[in-house]
Amino acid sequence: MSCLRWISYGAAAADKKKVFILNTNSGGHAVIGFYFAKELLGSGHEVTIMTVGDEGSDKMKKPPFNRFSEITSAGGKTVWGDPADVGNVVAGATFDVVLDNNGKDLDTVRPVIDWAKSSGVKHFLFISSAGIYKPTDEPPHVEGDVVKADAGHVGVEKYIAEVFGSWAVFRPQYMIGSGNNKDCEEWFFDHKNRPVPIPGSGMQLTNIAHVRDLSSMLTLAVEKPEAASCNIFNCVSNRTVTLDGMARLCAEAAGLPVEIVHYDPKAVGADAKKAFPFRNMHFYAEPRAPKDRLGWEGTTNLQDDLKERFKEYVKIGRDKKPMQFEIDDKILEALKVPVAV
Amino acid sequence: MAKLVVLQPTKQPPISLLSSSLSHFNGTKLCQIQYKRKVCQPKGALHVAASSTKKILIMGGTRFIGVFLSRLLVKEGHQVTLFTRGKAPVTQQLPGESDSDYSDFKSKILHLKGDRQDFEFVKSSLSAEGFDVVYDINGREAVEVEPILDALPNLEQFIYCSSAGVYLKSDILPHCEVDAVDPKSRHKGKLNTESLLEKSGVNWTSLRPVYIYGPLNYNPVEEWFFHRLKAGRPIPIPNSGVQITQLGHVKDLATAFVRVLGNEKASKQVFNISGEKYVTFDGLAKACAKAGGFPEPEIVHYNPKEFDFGKKKAFPFRDQHFFASVEKAKHVLGLKPEFDLVEGLTDSYNLDFGRGTYRKEADFSTDDMILNKTFALQS
Repeated sequence: MSCLRWISYGAAAADKKKVFILNTNSGGHAVIGFYFAKELLGSGHEVTIMTVGDEGSDKMKKPPFNRFSEITSAGGKTVWGDPADVGNVVAGATFDVVLDNNGKDLDTVRPVIDWAKSSGVKHFLFISSAGIYKPTDEPPHVEGDVVKADAGHVGVEKYIAEVFGSWAVFRPQYMIGSGNNKDCEEWFFDHKNRPVPIPGSGMQLTNIAHVRDLSSMLTLAVEKPEAASCNIFNCVSNRTVTLDGMARLCAEAAGLPVEIVHYDPKAVGADAKKAFPFRNMHFYAEPRAPKDRLGWEGTTNLQDDLKERFKEYVKIGRDKKPMQFEIDDKILEALKVPVAV
Repeated sequence: MAKLVVLQPTKQPPISLLSSSLSHFNGTKLCQIQYKRKVCQPKGALHVAASSTKKILIMGGTRFIGVFLSRLLVKEGHQVTLFTRGKAPVTQQLPGESDSDYSDFKSKILHLKGDRQDFEFVKSSLSAEGFDVVYDINGREAVEVEPILDALPNLEQFIYCSSAGVYLKSDILPHCEVDAVDPKSRHKGKLNTESLLEKSGVNWTSLRPVYIYGPLNYNPVEEWFFHRLKAGRPIPIPNSGVQITQLGHVKDLATAFVRVLGNEKASKQVFNISGEKYVTFDGLAKACAKAGGFPEPEIVHYNPKEFDFGKKKAFPFRDQHFFASVEKAKHVLGLKPEFDLVEGLTDSYNLDFGRGTYRKEADFSTDDMILNKTFALQS
């Protein structure tokens, strides 16, 4: 056992905690709260998960919300409401730990932070974003690196540190996993039997983690509060993959060949943000603090994980769904690339 | 006199103390202060009985890595012998090295003159001398190591300079010590050597550096950029320039070699050793400019497939992503590089190229091929 492991710092078995998760009602991060709730419940902690908005809204028909029975059947409590009104939504209940997996700016999160502090919450956790790191010539983004001062999440991180003596901030990138509210690998699976247009060289590095790794990191922070306290954690996989590499791995998982076509978005008049699900640049953070301080280990194995994702993709019938590829067709036409019918 | 140092866990300062002294939001490196060697690792704390004087043999030692490594070992009080053909001077005063330091080193370092390709001589001379520890800094093939192992049956440790070049190319990075290696790589000799060491039963340690840089570098890594920057020439970089590579300062590598000496945690282990951050090709050009006080360079990208450079190398790096995680060395050995990229390149510039010294004359012939074609297309 390395003498530099921080695990020794708080190795006592976790006593049971009362955890409150404020969860977004849409987007790539929604699935984080879902996995985290289930993992905490599995470890014997008490969980209340509040989803932003109304229980009856259309958004609740999508995953992971349409699987919340998995939380309630495990003993978790689910509530809905407005974050600005959180104290009333939880009807005066108190918690040891709060995770805000919703807000992207101080206006949204401040009421939650203030309520948590005044109601005696001891540890405040926040899902921020690795997108706040300033682009660099020297990857990876490492905890402590310069962030964009005007990023909304930065204001939140600052305020949390001012208000709470014990806090932890998590900066994720992209994630895959059953129950995801936003397409990730699906974009590649959708492209079966079509050329895959990738902006730039295709060598851009990104970071795609299975959400179970993000959940395990959060759980460790709950169970080792002293080790986690006052730290930033890159909430990402311990491996990076190139955009071309992701295309290849998805094709491999689907058992199909892949034809990658590179293009310059400006030259073909395409909006790269709409045309492609990942940033058109190196976007690569490494989870050094989680390993150093929490003894966290990543388990994401894209080759295996994507195979499983493809199985579900087929199971839900998405591979048979007719699809439009308007933006793709524009790009391919500009490049004069034929598309097999 | 042998001093016994008992291995004990390094005491870590409490987290809250450290973090409260840092602002997390102005770019201060959060991790750096916790891990700065001077604070966290009192000298010798990780060594088991390493303060006892060892009789050490370095295969090589007069060109680059060994020049720095030998000095550290001599300073620690070990008896160090360099095995070289004597083509390069056994000792040379380093730029920035004081006269007294140099004469002290020169008076203590020993030399065993020979050709390591003469396996009989290697075996007999090593056997006659007897050594406690061997550092093999310049070995390339397994056959070169056999006579050393044969000659020294009671060897305490064989420490090998391998290469991250052994890793199998992958879409998933960084290269980690557990990853697949490529039996067909240019560095398969290093792989074969690691296998030999594993099979032989000797207590071995293997370090895998990526690209090494620093003063006295004979591989034109930083020198390649410095020549062009000094000449005020554009820097031709193949393809997109976003390819990511990794440089490790030679002094940090030397420190790593010393850290594994007599270290139980290094026994039969492989460690990647390099800088903590990686860098894009374009970024490296800019970093070299910063280090040498040059203005930001003009970078010209080109498609290497459109040229026939013959035997010449148009660019000193593999045209692919190539970087390795150094987390294992950090966690297991407590190793944290002293130099970040610009600091390290500045050290190299100030002690070497900036003083007018370099190993290879500038050769801009491939640059001119590229630039002529590029500017011909533009006009």
